[in-house]
Amino acid sequence: MTGRQRKQLWAAVQTALILIAMFIMLVPILWIFLAAFKTHVDVYQLKLFFTPTLENFGIVFDDPYRLGEKLFNSTVVALVTVIIAIPVATLAAYSFSRFSMRGETMMLVIILATQFVPAVVIILPFFVMFRDIGLLDTRVGLILVNLAIVMPFAIWMIKGFIDGIPMDTEEAAMVDGSSRLQVIRNIVLPMAAPGLLTSAIFCFIIAWNEFLFALILTNKNAVTLPIGLALFKGEEGDLWNLLSAAGIIIMAPMFVLALMIRKYFVQGMTMGAVR
Amino acid sequence: MAEIRLDNLTKRWGDFVGVDNQSLHIRDREFLVLLGPSGCGKTTTMRMIAGLEEPTAGEIRIGDRLVNDDLPKDRDVAMVFQNYGLYPHMTIFENIAYPLRVRGVAKSDIRPRVEKAAEQVELTEFLDRKPKALSGGQRQRVALARAIVRTPKVFLMDEPLSNLDAKLRVTMRAELKHLSRELQITTVYVTHDQIEAMTLADRVAVMKHGVIQQLGTPDEIYNDPANLFVAGFIGSPAMNLIDGSVKDGMFVTTGGTRLVKIDAQDRDAAILGVRADDMQVHEAGQGDIDVKIYAFENTGESTLLTVQWGRQRVIARGDRHLRKDQNDVVGISLNEDHLYLFDPETENRIRI
Amino acid sequence: MRDNTLKYLLVLPAVVVVFATAIWPLIEAARLSFTVGRLNRPGSLDQYLGWENYAWAFLEEPAFWNSVWVTAVYTTLTVGLTTILALGLALLLAPGGRLRSSAQTLLILPFAMSPALIGVSFRFMFNPEFGLFDAFFGVLIPPLADVSWLADPTLAFAVVVMADVWGWIPFLTLVLIGGLASVPRDTIEAAQVDGASGWRVFRDVTLPQLGPVLAVVIILKSIFSLKTFDQVFMLTNGGPGTATQTLSHYIYFNGMKYGQIGYSAAVAWLMVIPMIFLTYAYAKFVFRKG
Repeated sequence: MTGRQRKQLWAAVQTALILIAMFIMLVPILWIFLAAFKTHVDVYQLKLFFTPTLENFGIVFDDPYRLGEKLFNSTVVALVTVIIAIPVATLAAYSFSRFSMRGETMMLVIILATQFVPAVVIILPFFVMFRDIGLLDTRVGLILVNLAIVMPFAIWMIKGFIDGIPMDTEEAAMVDGSSRLQVIRNIVLPMAAPGLLTSAIFCFIIAWNEFLFALILTNKNAVTLPIGLALFKGEEGDLWNLLSAAGIIIMAPMFVLALMIRKYFVQGMTMGAVR
Repeated sequence: MAEIRLDNLTKRWGDFVGVDNQSLHIRDREFLVLLGPSGCGKTTTMRMIAGLEEPTAGEIRIGDRLVNDDLPKDRDVAMVFQNYGLYPHMTIFENIAYPLRVRGVAKSDIRPRVEKAAEQVELTEFLDRKPKALSGGQRQRVALARAIVRTPKVFLMDEPLSNLDAKLRVTMRAELKHLSRELQITTVYVTHDQIEAMTLADRVAVMKHGVIQQLGTPDEIYNDPANLFVAGFIGSPAMNLIDGSVKDGMFVTTGGTRLVKIDAQDRDAAILGVRADDMQVHEAGQGDIDVKIYAFENTGESTLLTVQWGRQRVIARGDRHLRKDQNDVVGISLNEDHLYLFDPETENRIRI
Repeated sequence: MRDNTLKYLLVLPAVVVVFATAIWPLIEAARLSFTVGRLNRPGSLDQYLGWENYAWAFLEEPAFWNSVWVTAVYTTLTVGLTTILALGLALLLAPGGRLRSSAQTLLILPFAMSPALIGVSFRFMFNPEFGLFDAFFGVLIPPLADVSWLADPTLAFAVVVMADVWGWIPFLTLVLIGGLASVPRDTIEAAQVDGASGWRVFRDVTLPQLGPVLAVVIILKSIFSLKTFDQVFMLTNGGPGTATQTLSHYIYFNGMKYGQIGYSAAVAWLMVIPMIFLTYAYAKFVFRKG
């Protein structure tokens, strides 16, 4: 083989490997997408070609499943969590980024550490407390515990974005006559806006997909979408066409959001350890 | 318009001394350049004047006012930053207008003033653009316009030309000089580029290790350097510094060559300073001393000869038509009127 | 307002929230771990019995040791497999170009999928009657045709590991692609000019410079593997028997199903300890950058 042929062969092998890898990554997702449009019978026949139907989406929103309520709960919980977390995290992140404080490293490490604490540890005391004060199975309770996983993440991520804003610009604004708060409002917030939006989307996805807290804290009124999946266990086993339809309702919006923040994905998920 | 007075100003970070107990009086309407290598404390000094850095000790006065405890916004200074510090989310107009807006200047007043400032730096046609759409030189002008749009007591400029390419730097330097003569506002200018310092300054303060080494007009620091550091820092190529001693009115190199007549007391160790331009190049045998060429460089407007002088290398400037080759031997003579003598211990100048 | 006051005011709300939602539960869980802590017995949450819960876990509970073992094997396998496969995929995709960058984009999708849903989809794929993977493996390895994957302890464990690896490969791959991009191009080119083969360039130049990123990735993945709950719950619910019962699942079961809050708090705290070491290691990398 000439050097050129060898190169071409190697390129072809690489392309094939990439396609296989993509196939493996996509198949489970695609299979759910297909099953969601299949009838009950088609699912059980492993059919690749079938007459698509939308009836599964109708069924999941109807009695007794009423996925609409879960969708509403998920949306409210994730949205309110983000609305509380982002402004609070932004102020703290600015301060961490721009000032040196007594015990700053300590605070940052503790905040980082809370991110890694297993959710089961956090939820035990909350369950006991919520049972005593009547917050079990409420959206408010769920929002509170969701803050535990979202806040540390948001603080670190937004700090990373603010670190990336040059000091020069802020100092120019101060010399130009701004107070510190004016600097934050007029300069930092507009410049950090894309970063803030990215962080908000990240946090929304995390809160939306959160499973353990909702599993333990809710049973009827505040059930969220991921927990709702458990509804589709019939007497004769799982109702896969309905599960898949519900799955799409959970996944699809997150896919759209995730594609929006593609650029910041790595930096966000590693909290700045990898850029 | 105002004078600036720094009294016993010190800045320390832990054990590191940024600025060491320095006093400096900058006169009203003066253009003062702080010159020195990186880490010499020049930028720190300026940032303390701006209020971006808090002094560890000492007092800063702008006009009659003690400003130590004033926030930057209350000091009535304008600053041009090394990386310009433009607001990327605002248009050029908004950038220039920001200092007025934030100080509550009436809307109707803002537009004419911004337009005037933009005109002074030739930016009128770019007012609707964002900084990202501008070239480096244009961004530099926006930073300038933002500084001159109001009449501050003091201009502060932190290496404003260092991010521009060599050619643009020369143009902008001239524009800056023109503008500063027009405006007549007290200016502090930080740079590590001695040509900028020489061309722009009324007076230059040369700094090293947080200490002002010499304060004087460009003429003074070039022709009358106070110590070894200033002598070596100013001028291009740098002043030649030759180790040796003084004996019987002659400077003798470490190698034992009796080099040149010098009107000084005998001493065992001395350093002779001589600029490349103060040496003449002759054919071999016709100068004070014959030396071998280590490298011959033709810069177009002149030639530079690096010659081996015992263990040291010395640079002499030759005529633009001179052509020599490596290892050729030439004669060199020194101009006795422009010799400097330094004490190697204290590094101070020994007055002849 | 002076910056010196302001800077503390700015962090105050966040510190309060983090304390209330994360620090307080940790402390309270520690307290509960020393109590009788039965959900259905009033007053038992304040009834202290010293280290007994811990002793119980260590000495009397084979199920505890089983879940420690499951978690350890699970963590080792998922961290190892995910890292190696992701590194391969990253090397494959890093050069860029149309195909490769669209592949990188697609990799975002599994991240956006909730782990619970990943569990569901794998249960679906490995269904013995109509699961796609089941059919696929059945053709490839005939003895595996129509096996009840999730009913066999070993196979069920394998499926859980597969689901985890599948869900995490994209994230690790994207991080490693980022890491590869930050390896200075000229060091690789210098090695090529110096005459190194593709493999030598990777081993002598790329891999050492990728070291810190790899470390970050391995630590991060270890933390998430140790905590695994969602997929396991949806896929096997710890079964068959306790073959796939991770520590998180064990804690959940004892706390929520049996109401033994005190005991499960003790086990939960045992789980926090390795996390402290991993967090410490991770923090070193994060602050090294600053």
